[in-house]
Amino acid sequence: MTSRTPPSEPAPPPQTNRADLPRQFPDRGAMVQDLAARFPLASGGASPIRGGSKPALAALEAVDPVRYAASRNHLGGAVSGLSPYIRHGVLSLAQVRDVVLERMARGPGLVSEKLLQELAWRDYWQRLWIRLGDGIWENLEPLKTGQAEAAYAQELPDDISEGHTGLACIDAFARQLIDTGWLHNHARMWLAAYVVHWRRVRWQAGARWFLRHLLDGDAASNNLSWQWVASSFSSKPYLFNRANLERFGAGRHCLGCPAAEDCPFEASYEDLQTRLFSAPQGGGQASGEQGKGGAV
Amino acid sequence: MDRPVLWIHTEALGPANPALLAHPGRPAVFVFEPGLLEGGGGPISLKRIVFLYECLLELPVTIRQGDGAEEVLAFAARHRADGVVTSAWVDPQLGDIAACVAAALPLQVLVPEPFVDLPEQVDLRRFSRYWRSAGPRLLPDPAAPETPT
Repeated sequence: MTSRTPPSEPAPPPQTNRADLPRQFPDRGAMVQDLAARFPLASGGASPIRGGSKPALAALEAVDPVRYAASRNHLGGAVSGLSPYIRHGVLSLAQVRDVVLERMARGPGLVSEKLLQELAWRDYWQRLWIRLGDGIWENLEPLKTGQAEAAYAQELPDDISEGHTGLACIDAFARQLIDTGWLHNHARMWLAAYVVHWRRVRWQAGARWFLRHLLDGDAASNNLSWQWVASSFSSKPYLFNRANLERFGAGRHCLGCPAAEDCPFEASYEDLQTRLFSAPQGGGQASGEQGKGGAV
Repeated sequence: MDRPVLWIHTEALGPANPALLAHPGRPAVFVFEPGLLEGGGGPISLKRIVFLYECLLELPVTIRQGDGAEEVLAFAARHRADGVVTSAWVDPQLGDIAACVAAALPLQVLVPEPFVDLPEQVDLRRFSRYWRSAGPRLLPDPAAPETPT
């Protein structure tokens, strides 16, 4: 009477149905070609970043909380690349938490909790999504830029989405987004600030663009981060300047930029605030330190 | 529920999917639904679909294209299932599909281990407030005694 029973009956013999999508392909190229035909509205090609638990576990194995904390703000820093796998549950947040805590305990002395906090940011965004539902598409608070809602364009201009603004950094970020579906968190913030503050486009237009492309695209992390930059979910708008971009940008962009002599980011934070906003911001802009979580 | 099918969705595409772990060997389905992951911004790019597909090919799952709820229910009928098992979701779009499924068949939702256990009404107005609750639960003070004295 008390013998253990399986949770459910064994499966019936496998049945196939003509409308089942295929599970076998000669190679990745053939798979991509097949999927392109099945999803004719989906633009572009495949990312070099692969799905599945093998690449996910390799990325998890490489996680180093010490190097992460020391270099995460730099484009060339030791970020984990785990976000696409966490977003789709290939790895659970609890599983990554355990690895991070174990490595923190192993580390020399007191190890920074920055990486753990980045995981917590994702948990935080998810909890907000549950609470707010589709409300994450609306401003959570009024903008602090002093600009009227109506001053922001509804649509993303083509030169941004196609990577033809003439600004080497911005175009490189756009192309990386389109080609790979992943961007360093700092690049996401710079790109978002450019779209919302310099080009005065509604954050929702930028958020929708990111969701089309990011492998870790998730309306909670994505939209709420855009709102953080825009200032509808923060006490002031996020800005950067050229010095900040040069410091953290791995020296990749300004050299040879066609706009280097007339760079829209070449200014002090005070000057940029005066130029871009009509409301007093008070207290000066935060430095280049990333202020919120995004891609881990 | 003796003969469930498993509905695998975009938030649980790993081997630790709670439904797959609880019911090994039961038929499982994933549906590419138009509008999936879009946020109203037009179709997602092919690289996102390829990424999802590569995750799916590692799992014992039938892959379909079409309306999410209709496909899950048709899959259940095909396997003469008496219910559907899935894992918890956050995206409200998945909640809509789940509601349609649950209107026709028993739906069991399995909840994975949380990142951190917090009171339901935790203050989420800013990350700093959340972290004030979450941080100490994740990182107990190593200097504190293990049991209260």
